[in-house]
Amino acid sequence: MSGAERASSPAGGGAEAPRRRGPIARLWHWFRALPLVRVATRPATSFSLAFLTLGGFVAGVAFWGGFNTALEATNRTEFCIGCHEMRSNVYQELQGTVHFTNRSGVRAGCPDCHVPHNWTDKIARKMQASKEVWGHIFGTIATREDFLAMRRPMAEREWARMAANDSLECRNCHSAQSMDLSRQNPRAAAAHERFLFSGERTCIDCHKGIAHRLPDMSNVPGWH
Amino acid sequence: MRPRLLLAAMAAACLGAGTLLAQDAPRLRGPEPFTREQPAPPMQRAITNDVRVRRNYPDQPPLIPHAIEGYALDLNANKCMSCHARRFTEQSQAPMISVTHYQDREGNTLGGLAPRRYACLSCHVPQTEARPLVENRFTDMDALAEPERQTGNRGGR
Amino acid sequence: MTLSRRDLLKAEAAAAAAMAASIILPAEAQNVARGEELRLKWDKAPCRFCGTGCGVMVGVKDGRVVATHGDMRAEVNRGLNCVKGYFLSKIMYGADRLTRPLMRMRGGRFDKDGELTPVTWDQAFDTMAAHWKRVLREKGPEAVGMFGSGQWTMFEGYAASKLMRAGFRSNNLDPNARHCMASAAVTFIRTFGSDEPMGCYDDFEHADAFVLWGSNMAEMHPILWTRITDRRLSADHVRIHTLSTYEHRTTDLSDAGLVFRPGTDLAILNYIANHIIQSGAVNRDFVQKHVNFRLANTDIGYGLRPDHTLEVRAQHANDAAVSQPADFDAYAKLVGEYTLDRAHEISGVPKPQLEALARLYADPKAKVMSLWTMGFNQHVRGVWANHMVYNIHLLTGKISEPGNGPFSLTGQPSACGTAREVGCFSHRLPADMQVTNPDHRKVMEEIWKLPPGLLPGKVGFHAVQQDRMLKDGKLNAYWIMCNNNLQTAPNTSNETYPGYRNPANLIVCSDPYPTVTAMAADIVLPTAMWVEKEGAYGNAERRTQFWHELVQAPGEARSDLWQVMEFSRRFTTDEVWPAEMLAKAPEYRGKTLYEVLFRNGQVDRFPLSDIAPGYANHESKAFGFYVQKGIWEEYIRCGNGHGHDYAPFDTYHEVRGLRWPVVDGKETRWRYREGYDPYVEKGAGLQFYGNPDKRANIMGAPYEPPAETPDRDFDLWLVTGRVLEHWHSGSMTLRVPELYRAFPGAVLFMHPEDAQARDLRRGQEVRIVSRRGEIRSRVETRGRNHMPRGVVFVPFFDASQLINKVTLDATDPISKQTDYKKCAVKVVAAVDRPVVTPASAPDPRAGLR
Repeated sequence: MSGAERASSPAGGGAEAPRRRGPIARLWHWFRALPLVRVATRPATSFSLAFLTLGGFVAGVAFWGGFNTALEATNRTEFCIGCHEMRSNVYQELQGTVHFTNRSGVRAGCPDCHVPHNWTDKIARKMQASKEVWGHIFGTIATREDFLAMRRPMAEREWARMAANDSLECRNCHSAQSMDLSRQNPRAAAAHERFLFSGERTCIDCHKGIAHRLPDMSNVPGWH
Repeated sequence: MRPRLLLAAMAAACLGAGTLLAQDAPRLRGPEPFTREQPAPPMQRAITNDVRVRRNYPDQPPLIPHAIEGYALDLNANKCMSCHARRFTEQSQAPMISVTHYQDREGNTLGGLAPRRYACLSCHVPQTEARPLVENRFTDMDALAEPERQTGNRGGR
Repeated sequence: MTLSRRDLLKAEAAAAAAMAASIILPAEAQNVARGEELRLKWDKAPCRFCGTGCGVMVGVKDGRVVATHGDMRAEVNRGLNCVKGYFLSKIMYGADRLTRPLMRMRGGRFDKDGELTPVTWDQAFDTMAAHWKRVLREKGPEAVGMFGSGQWTMFEGYAASKLMRAGFRSNNLDPNARHCMASAAVTFIRTFGSDEPMGCYDDFEHADAFVLWGSNMAEMHPILWTRITDRRLSADHVRIHTLSTYEHRTTDLSDAGLVFRPGTDLAILNYIANHIIQSGAVNRDFVQKHVNFRLANTDIGYGLRPDHTLEVRAQHANDAAVSQPADFDAYAKLVGEYTLDRAHEISGVPKPQLEALARLYADPKAKVMSLWTMGFNQHVRGVWANHMVYNIHLLTGKISEPGNGPFSLTGQPSACGTAREVGCFSHRLPADMQVTNPDHRKVMEEIWKLPPGLLPGKVGFHAVQQDRMLKDGKLNAYWIMCNNNLQTAPNTSNETYPGYRNPANLIVCSDPYPTVTAMAADIVLPTAMWVEKEGAYGNAERRTQFWHELVQAPGEARSDLWQVMEFSRRFTTDEVWPAEMLAKAPEYRGKTLYEVLFRNGQVDRFPLSDIAPGYANHESKAFGFYVQKGIWEEYIRCGNGHGHDYAPFDTYHEVRGLRWPVVDGKETRWRYREGYDPYVEKGAGLQFYGNPDKRANIMGAPYEPPAETPDRDFDLWLVTGRVLEHWHSGSMTLRVPELYRAFPGAVLFMHPEDAQARDLRRGQEVRIVSRRGEIRSRVETRGRNHMPRGVVFVPFFDASQLINKVTLDATDPISKQTDYKKCAVKVVAAVDRPVVTPASAPDPRAGLR
């Protein structure tokens, strides 16, 4: 703002300007003066209420559809790995795991685990994600070293989020109710019986680092 | 070229040495003839049944009877220790690392896993369902000490 | 696996006890054996596998090895073994051990197109001797050859060298170690005038940083890796930098993993040298006192056949080894081209990683140990790569002191002891002496009590050349001992196998097991292995280790030492030496080679009664004297007093190895350094006394590209190598069920996106195709190795996936060592086309599967 003002003062500082207006004010006046804007800002006189209601509805549908399309478009792994930070770090690691390739060919992509499925949480997460966009634009994680340095705090954030929502994103696919213990190996079955079904632990408490490599685990409970 | 050669040679190799399992001889001896193209057998599935395997002698490191795919073993984390470390064995019911693993190179007993033992997979390996290529006639010392009790003692000792 | 009878008996016993507690069980029903029957006889031996040289305790009962464990008293490993070492007790007991000689026969006679049939030792040796004599008569010594091994005992290598050079007068003797560390061996001599490292494993506990150049120690040298991780995790300041063409278990435990494009390590090395110079980190005083500068000939070709375009085009293909004297400024100018930007551009390694590494080397306070094996050595510029790492250590003076130094690891248990020290290369004699040097030949003729001028002065065929000459029909009598070269040589379909099947050639293979090589040979000799014979190995830190014969070999299997000596009985000097030489030395006339070489009053000097009580020794029993002791005492005369001193024979059976030079009973840990090395003159501080001026050579050389680089048709780099669980061609480890089941077959490690781009997936069968040949394998996108895009890795242990049908027979033009780490391939889905077999003849193996 101040920079813009300073830049404009030599150009606009001539003696011929009788009434000095700031650039924003000038822009506003120019906008208000546009014919279309003038029509738009006048109360409707020649359109029926029905037309306006219907039109508003159609416009609303168009807007909502567009919003949702955009939301869905940004909710795909392809979108996430469009940024090199994601592509060359976390995505490389995901590709070597069972969540990426497995017997039946079901794949969990980035949003499956990192974006909540219910609407309000999803929107909240999307708003948080603006921080990641900020980080991308300003190169917070420009190199592998930057990523490695940030790995612990980033992982902690995800662990905390999943601990708080009782590993909701895991449970979207892996429901405790749907487990068949006879099909699990004895070690896993015993652990689930004792810790998961009793509610003593949630998924993320034990299953850390299953889709990405782990950060330095010193002082993380359950680790050496 | 000489399809019967392998059979003959195997028979010859086994003279006085008993039978051969060798269901997959090319893996040991190559295709016959050498220039023949060999299909690649399917990759073998890991054994994850949690059943302990008998050691060949007491000092041998136990085999890993469970999946370890994706387990971290790097400077950040050692996933093996989150079950096999002494303090976690009660909840995990996994065997504790051997007492030898607390000793450093000088023979001092430490309070935890000795750093020289950190790379677990140098000694402990998981198994797949692959069938052995050829019988191994190693004799367990128990078989020598009490031969009448052994079933796997094919040497007729 | 399942409930054994023993378990059942236990259960029954327990049940019986519970049911009738008052009944006293008879003694034989108790499941605890006692006293005498539990006693094992324990002896020391070095491990049979890699060049680390771990000490093993071997437990024997009733003539069988029943247990092995890490030797607590062995300095190398202090009680640890890797998984292969812990299963050593099973390597001798594969059910398909060869127990009788086999020969290709048809109609009761030898026939190259016949079937392998059991014969007696005499039949086998007589057939061999007749062929050898005919070839020697018709074509001379250059048409006989032997391919030996860095797994031979030192005694075996020595006897073979004597038979080939002094008996048959041919230097066509080369060890498989040529494929393994020739680049390191050659560069030690070129730089320091003496082979083998100046430092030792004690450096591990003293270094502040470790730099691994193309070495995956976590899998290939696991026990040395325990010493490095021990140091790293015990001292906070210690750092590990690992350079490689892909990520693996070693990079997992490294502070920095630098992934570079294949072959570009040369640019990184020169950049580091340049950084040291530019940042003023050169140790001027050290350089002035101890270093000469030279510049290598450049554009030196790729060791392919001479008519190959790349060789014709190369300016210095014929004088690749030549270098010119230079000075610091000329060297600085050469490396000055390798700026950070250029090194990054060539190698693809991020600049911060390169800079951090260069700063580490330049830091005068950081003690750095550089380590390498096949990444450097199996490299078309392997000699240069070795030079370049020495350059860095010499510029900074970080050498020959605890914790500071370049260290070349070895892959075979006696690559150092047998192949290098005893001198089994086509250009070498014992104790660093060279066949081309008339003075050296004279020394050996005196020690070996031979007529003057007998030893040939022409360098023999090296490993790859031997295969080419077999194919071309110029090498016709060929004995392969203790290696599996048809599986492990490069470009085997085109350059190795044709020579084996050449009708003019007789191919003999000595091995404990029916390997790929044995199955293609004309005569197969059953061999006693490891503790079935008395032996000596020399490991990577100059440590010589002995062991006793502990168990008997099965059937008629005999050691390579016995085979060489027994074969020598079938030749007389009149048959194999020139008449004019015998005319000048008539006392040798009519004697067998056995008499001249082994009953020379030296080798046969020690009676059987010198053998330690309680130990068998089948060779000595056969020949009537203590063979190993006689050989040792004759052999050590070659180097004693010349910086290659060993202790007397009996000492080695007492100790856990000694690092040579052993002077006045004391081993040497850091060579060339006063206070550690008795050969350094008082007050000199440091002397590279291998060279006449006691200085080491800094050798300037540029980056030059590999022989073959991926292009549109063959778009991937192929790297080959080992895995932890299997050793080399797998002939021992594949026969141990636990090791086999841990890693049951070769796979193609590939980046998931490379797989996806080819519509491939994990587990899918593929063809790996190069300009030389193809094999089928399975895609692996996970697991222990993380490939970058554009690079694939295939291990070579699996005989059903002979990846060396695909590799290129390019070598370093100076060391003649094969480059197994760089060639171009494509990978495509294996369309299941049926194997062409006559419809009437069912696959004979079908019933065996």
